[in-house]
Amino acid sequence: MEEEIKTLSTGIFGFGIGGSSWENGLSWDPDLIVAQGTSSDGGPTYLGQDDPYGAFMNVRKDLATIIVSARKKQIPFILSSGSPSGSNLELERALAAVDEIAKEKQIGLRIAVIPGELDKQYLKRKITAGAKIRRLVETDGLAPYLTEEDVDRSKRIVAQMGPEPIVKALDLDVDGIITGRALDVGLYMALPIKRGFDKALAAHMAKTIECSALVCEPQSFEPVFAILRKDHFLVRPTNQSARCTVKSVASHAFYERADPTREENPGGILDTSNALYEQVDSQTVKVTGSRWLPTPYTLKIEGARQVGYRTICICGVRDERLITCIDWFLDQGRKHVEEKLQPLKPNEDYDLIFRVYGKNGVLGDAEPIKETRPHELGLIIDAVAPEQEVADSACTAAVDFVAHMEYPGRIATAANVAFAYSPREHRLGPVYEFNIWHLLELEDPCEPFNIQIREFPKGH
Amino acid sequence: MKLCELATVLRSKNAGPFRTTFDLFFDNDEAYQKVKDSGVLTEELIAELYNMSPQDVYGIFFVDTARGIKITIPKPFDMASGAPRCRDLFGAQQHIALMDIEIP
Repeated sequence: MEEEIKTLSTGIFGFGIGGSSWENGLSWDPDLIVAQGTSSDGGPTYLGQDDPYGAFMNVRKDLATIIVSARKKQIPFILSSGSPSGSNLELERALAAVDEIAKEKQIGLRIAVIPGELDKQYLKRKITAGAKIRRLVETDGLAPYLTEEDVDRSKRIVAQMGPEPIVKALDLDVDGIITGRALDVGLYMALPIKRGFDKALAAHMAKTIECSALVCEPQSFEPVFAILRKDHFLVRPTNQSARCTVKSVASHAFYERADPTREENPGGILDTSNALYEQVDSQTVKVTGSRWLPTPYTLKIEGARQVGYRTICICGVRDERLITCIDWFLDQGRKHVEEKLQPLKPNEDYDLIFRVYGKNGVLGDAEPIKETRPHELGLIIDAVAPEQEVADSACTAAVDFVAHMEYPGRIATAANVAFAYSPREHRLGPVYEFNIWHLLELEDPCEPFNIQIREFPKGH
Repeated sequence: MKLCELATVLRSKNAGPFRTTFDLFFDNDEAYQKVKDSGVLTEELIAELYNMSPQDVYGIFFVDTARGIKITIPKPFDMASGAPRCRDLFGAQQHIALMDIEIP
């Protein structure tokens, strides 16, 4: 029989797996189950904050489904975890859940754990030794080359590990692999690379199935199934009423990528400009023809630094007389806050942002429609400052103004807005921004990663 | 015709926290070729719509096999995903300015 690897991909876990589409996928005898659980899409806060990720119950449920299914089928699983930043804090939380699941289901597990958080000293030694760690994107928000100061200012730093440490871990006779922050496609490429499959096809397959049934019609979060062979791969949904089409698969290559046919990966560029997509049956697409262009090996590193604290107030305006002059009124509010908070200066010592939903809350100054007549406006009064108390004071000063000050034609003299909540103001806590989004060149792709073997349940 | 009448998908999303990317797909070759051949989608037009200079536009890509067009631009750095002044964490509502582009 032709050599092949069959992958059952759940995509992002925590969105809910199970039911007949999951059972279908398992019944097709996959060689492994792969799921991604780390992402920087949700912004820097997840990486910076110490507070645990909210919807962990959903993550735990999917973890249990994957682990139990993999043991039943006697196949390995490869997961990235750490909801969603991939920090050690979140990875350990996922591993604690694995321990509970192992106890509850009475299954023994030997797992290779590969944390993705980087030691600051490791990076600083690299910089001292002359490593040029360049930014991945040209933007004023990032230093052209990483400095020791950037490293110190970052709350946490994670590396988006490539497939190489996972390939290594596959040799360790384990039931599964759980990584911290990882390149999503790397999770899917590891077994193909270990078994000598074409790297370009493996990467293209990985890219196609990493978001599970977002590559299907209709789009969903259900699993997808891929068969990788020497010169092509096949992809289809596990839900019998969904389908992969040439259009859905070819267009998925665009998703969240800067360039639709060239994707920079650690150690190479995946070039899909000559890829061919063929419909082989009503649900399945066959893909051939992608190329891998080798480049020096670089690891993407991500770091978040705290820029301050945030306090917000959510309220609504219903009175047409205020709605018609809202821009003028909020400008007066800005001036009022500036006077109140002296000698603190706006934009330097604090940032006051009015988000006016129903007018230009989404696009801000870029909103092309300048004149509207909504009957209601949603207003978020948003203050950010280096100290929480300054953010509180700026927010409250603005709230007091908005609630009580005069505007032309005002006859509702009691208060100007409806507050949604008591208290009126809410502390949203620390605010972060990405200050590290850089590329670390490495001779050995595994250098910063320490593979640990852990047995579950603990103490058995 | 307007771009949103010709395209069957017209969407925006982050390509990382510092870039916004727009994807356009068409159901038939005629509509795709009409837009591609019109020459309307240029760096100059995108720069004007999104308030930047043409050389800042990361790229405009036409992919015939997918009947797809991709346009990628930088985000203003203080509006990067999750930054204090960010208004659209995933960049999913930034496509509006493209919808009404007239394709002759």
